[in-house]
Amino acid sequence: MSRFTKFGKRYRDKALGIVIPIVAILLAFVVGAVIILFLGKNPIEGYGLLFSGALGNPGRVAQSLMSACPLIFTSLAVAFAYKCGVFNLGGEGQFIMGATVTMMVLQVTGIQGVPGILLGILVGIIAGGIWGLLPGIMKITRGLNELITTIMLNYVATLFMNYIYSGPFHDPDSGNLQTPAVADSVNLIRVDRMHFGVIIAILMAVVVWYVIYKTSFGFKIRAVGINPTAARVAGFPVKRLVLLSFIISGAIAGFGGSVDLLGRQYRLMTGFGSGFGFSGVAIALIAQLNPIGSMVVALFFGMLTTGASSMQVGIMVPSAILDIIRALIIIFAVSGMALMKLPTFKNLLNRRPMDQEGLMPPATGDKKVEVSE
Amino acid sequence: MDVFLGSMPDVLATTIRMTVPLLFVALGELFSERAGLVNIGLDGLMTIGAFTGFVVGYQTGNLWLGVLCGAVAGIAVNLIYAFCTVSLRVDQTVTGMAINILAPGIATFAYKVIFGDGSTLVQGTTMDKLAIPGLSAIPFVGDILFNQTLLAYLAYIAVPLCWFYFARTRGGLNFRSVGENPQAAETLGIDAIKTKYLASIVCGALAGIGGAFLTLCYTSTYATGVVAGRGFIALAAVIFGRWSSVGILGATLLFGFFDAVQIALQVSAPTVPYQFFAMIPYVFTIVALFFFNAQKGGPKANGKPYFREER
Repeated sequence: MSRFTKFGKRYRDKALGIVIPIVAILLAFVVGAVIILFLGKNPIEGYGLLFSGALGNPGRVAQSLMSACPLIFTSLAVAFAYKCGVFNLGGEGQFIMGATVTMMVLQVTGIQGVPGILLGILVGIIAGGIWGLLPGIMKITRGLNELITTIMLNYVATLFMNYIYSGPFHDPDSGNLQTPAVADSVNLIRVDRMHFGVIIAILMAVVVWYVIYKTSFGFKIRAVGINPTAARVAGFPVKRLVLLSFIISGAIAGFGGSVDLLGRQYRLMTGFGSGFGFSGVAIALIAQLNPIGSMVVALFFGMLTTGASSMQVGIMVPSAILDIIRALIIIFAVSGMALMKLPTFKNLLNRRPMDQEGLMPPATGDKKVEVSE
Repeated sequence: MDVFLGSMPDVLATTIRMTVPLLFVALGELFSERAGLVNIGLDGLMTIGAFTGFVVGYQTGNLWLGVLCGAVAGIAVNLIYAFCTVSLRVDQTVTGMAINILAPGIATFAYKVIFGDGSTLVQGTTMDKLAIPGLSAIPFVGDILFNQTLLAYLAYIAVPLCWFYFARTRGGLNFRSVGENPQAAETLGIDAIKTKYLASIVCGALAGIGGAFLTLCYTSTYATGVVAGRGFIALAAVIFGRWSSVGILGATLLFGFFDAVQIALQVSAPTVPYQFFAMIPYVFTIVALFFFNAQKGGPKANGKPYFREER
């Protein structure tokens, strides 16, 4: 009985989709501030340092962008797969495999310059794709839950990388467990203070958005994600689409691994890629699986990562507080969206505009909403 | 290989030690799933249990208080999960993931607040083994089964208790009905919402204890990543064990055995890079699921949000 037109409703849902994450972020920061206060420190000073540390000067901004770059890739990987109903928790493993294989191939072949970069990225994409393909095959043949298999493969990938940097590719000149740095000539081209990979990541978000929302392939992927049975009835090759989404998701994460290796880290070492998979999940969920939204949230998370150390040094609050804040953002964001779907809230939302326009005849009301388009 | 066979009693004793945390957590997940809640936040719950157990045990010197507080911390975090999934009807997988990110964040943060940012791990103590007089004297088996920590014996007892509760008591059957068909259960006067909360409390407590076992009976320190995916392995154990406590015991014993084998192999074959042995539990979990996966057979309403007003 609502006087909202279909369009008006969709418009409102879209607006809520932006408002809720912002409120969630603010709320999470308030909780973070309470924790900081509880430790007897000044949260305003802390957050000031956080943001000046992330954006204070061009160098910092570049650092934030480069921290965001791998997160953009892993969050896109999660968002793409989830659109097809696949919950890929293996972003970390795919990211690590991409970087590890890139490193191995470049070390073994010794190819220099742009061909080296292209080859490195190509094998990284393939390695990530294969690491995504494995749980995909397990899912479509035996129905294995990808939540479990992708996590298990994360551990296998981390251990494999560990073997690579402490065994055959260990840097003989270093006492630490790490590989030697990749040759200077295969480092990603630098644009001002940041590497070119950031631009690739941003373009990637646009491409993924386009593929998901503007192509027939993306339509099929979404159809499978919303209702696999209906998609099968409609004649879509569901299993093939699910498998493809696994591969593409893995490939995106593997791409990210190569880019992070060649643009920022240059070598494999303990902790490489650690936590990027789960951060990607967090980002994609906060952005409600929208690729462009994921990119924006990833940029924000990159900022937090960069600013965290300034805050830690400045007011002596462990940077791990940001992990808590990040998790709270997801909880608040998804709870907020779920809250809007509860019948009580739905009624409340639908009633309020009606009261305001209650005096107008329905036709005018509808027209008014259309005009505001 | 001879060395390996010679150390078989050791391997089996280690098997029990690696099984116990998995068993606690998997039984917790059994309660959760029997009430229709697939909780993938087990890793996070274990982490918070491991951390709280360690800190309380270290600060007070009372390891049992540590276990208790680990359980309470697990419950506290899992109530967030329960509130989101049951009352707000947020997607269970998404909430579970949020728990997996939140709990380690809290643990790492609190660890650094309490112990500073130093790189050396704070060493606590582990529980003493408690040989059961008589039983531990049984040749071969006695030393393996009955020379463990008290917490391990509690796990032994938990299995028949869970089995009895779910299979032979009215309360257990009512509980199960919520996971099968909450609408029907409610028409019979069973409070599905209350049952789901209860399940989350039990699950949080057991996962917290499982986590506390890791730091109080196994490593004696808390380090980030101490749980190492055991929550997800337990999740696999519930499927592998076909949602029955006895089946779960079998599954976790098998997973525990492979964990023990990889530890023994690392010691007995130092020439092979240890990383390949360390992969064994994870690869085996996948292999086990690949051959014995159950696509059907779990509680029917498992993972589905429950709408009381829905018709």
